[in-house]
Amino acid sequence: MESATNQQSQTPLLATEGTKPLADVAPGATAFYRVAVAWFNRMTIEQRVLTGFSLVFVGILIISAISYRNMSTLLTNSGLDGRSHDLLQLLGTIDVTMNEAEDTHRRYLVTGETSYLEAYQKLVKQKPAFTVYLNDLTRGSPEQQQRVGVLDRMMDRQLNAESKAIGLFQQEGFRSVKKMALEGAGRRELGVIHQLIAEMDAHERQAVSQRVLESAAGTRNSIVLLGIGAVLQLVLLASVYYLIRHDITERRHVAEELQHRGELLEAANKELEAFSYSVSHDLRAPLRHIDGYAALLRKSVEQSLNEKAARYLQTISDAAKQMGQLIDDLLVFSRMGRQEMLATTVNLDQLVKSILADLRLDLQGRRISWTIAALPDVQGDPAMLRQVFMNLIANAVKFTSTRPTATIEIGAEHSTSSEIVLFVRDNGVGFDMQYASKLFGVFQRLHRADEFEGTGIGLANVRRIVHRHGGRTWAEGVPDRGATFYVALPTRRTES
Amino acid sequence: MNMAKPILLAEDNPRDAELALAAMEEERISDKVILCHDGAEVLDYLYCRGRFKSRLKGNPAVVFLDLKMPKVNGLEVLRTIKADSNLRPIPVVMLTSSREERDLAESYALGANAYVVKPVEFHKFLSAVKELGTFWGLINEPPPESSRSTH
Repeated sequence: MESATNQQSQTPLLATEGTKPLADVAPGATAFYRVAVAWFNRMTIEQRVLTGFSLVFVGILIISAISYRNMSTLLTNSGLDGRSHDLLQLLGTIDVTMNEAEDTHRRYLVTGETSYLEAYQKLVKQKPAFTVYLNDLTRGSPEQQQRVGVLDRMMDRQLNAESKAIGLFQQEGFRSVKKMALEGAGRRELGVIHQLIAEMDAHERQAVSQRVLESAAGTRNSIVLLGIGAVLQLVLLASVYYLIRHDITERRHVAEELQHRGELLEAANKELEAFSYSVSHDLRAPLRHIDGYAALLRKSVEQSLNEKAARYLQTISDAAKQMGQLIDDLLVFSRMGRQEMLATTVNLDQLVKSILADLRLDLQGRRISWTIAALPDVQGDPAMLRQVFMNLIANAVKFTSTRPTATIEIGAEHSTSSEIVLFVRDNGVGFDMQYASKLFGVFQRLHRADEFEGTGIGLANVRRIVHRHGGRTWAEGVPDRGATFYVALPTRRTES
Repeated sequence: MNMAKPILLAEDNPRDAELALAAMEEERISDKVILCHDGAEVLDYLYCRGRFKSRLKGNPAVVFLDLKMPKVNGLEVLRTIKADSNLRPIPVVMLTSSREERDLAESYALGANAYVVKPVEFHKFLSAVKELGTFWGLINEPPPESSRSTH
């Protein structure tokens, strides 16, 4: 009983695990929830456990996948942040360099001092590298690439304008470039460049801060999910622990129960043994006294005993003897059920031969035609199987006593690989098939006591012994034409 | 000859005792029978105490022992007899209603000289008791009376 409540208390644990998320999906999902509950109720314990575990596993898998994605986003973002940082630095450098080139080239135009041209010449050399870096660092962002295109053109135009001014100054002198020297040849372009760089800078910084937000959200998300995952794993572990413990407890209960029943059975057997012992000892004594005193009475009044009185005394003795026989038979029957069974190979040919030798006193004055086929070896208890064939053969001899020539046949037929079928057939008084089911019952007789003697225990013993061997018994008969008794024994021994 | 030696019959049931004595009477040996009603009386006789304090010394020719008896049962008496070096030679015949295997086995294990199941049918009982009485009381030569220590 305890184990049953245990089983029920464990399933809701897994059940809520499995069905709760379904219920939380949406208020409209109650119908689905109800279907799921109905489905769950139809499942066996094993299916429920399996479903619970599967759901927890799927949960852990999903959490792992999401966490993995978050992590890789974080990694990508940190890579992008590095690029943004480089880009910002590069933009700063370009800004400064362009500024410097414009400044120094103006000074050159004014002073004619060639050392002022260094910055400009350096920029001309660096410019292609700047373009390559810019394109590289803005790859993946069309907006920034577009700006890079414009920036590139503007830088070219500024440098062009400056180179034109320098050329003019060298050919025609200061006067021709006076205006440019004061205002700056690429001043307009420089302004556009400043503005572009500022835009790009702002754009990149915004992208960076957005990524920072995204990464923070992703991290928070991952932490929460990992927490849930840890809880799920704990639940899984706890369930496994619970199931294993439950299983062990269950097994212990079953073992205890088995032991208890074994003890009860042993006690019942002991009691039965004591009972039959006392029957065997105490019931016989009064019977002996009845018979004994009847005999003593007969002896002491022998002279005056008339025929009727003699018959009465005889009946008293006969009744006592009959009851003694019944008690003996019942004790044998009871012992047959309790006795330990041996397991050996029994040679039926020899067994039947020895039975016929034992019966030879009963066979005196009888004409019997025996047909005994070669019999197979069988597995079983020799003494018990001897009792079986003794009873069957003695029955055949008994119930053919009215025949001038009795025919008794012993053989084997219809044997299969799993079963050996043996039979004893006679041409005796037979029986009506409608009583066939009663034949093997305890104290069941189909003939009157004055027709054939016997207590009616022989076939009951046959059936009990054959059943203990794992076999079957049945009989076929026709009134006044004879009977055949069958015994089927398994080829492989089965304990009962 | 052992004509002088008595036959000790231990039988608690008076009817069984009467029937046994009736059987012995037919063989004219009933006067040799000393009847004990329980195991304690058997031991009293063997050790010359109680109501047998003043009996003639000497062991009986045979002891017929019932298994189930009040006070001291047959197996206990048997055990005592076979454990005493002076009593051990006395032939002991178990005369009982029990056909149980464990009674048989235990009796022989303790050293019983014979085991007879009382037949239900009187004429069989009669002949069994007659034969037993004749054999153990008349035919069988009992062990010689050794230099028995007096009690």
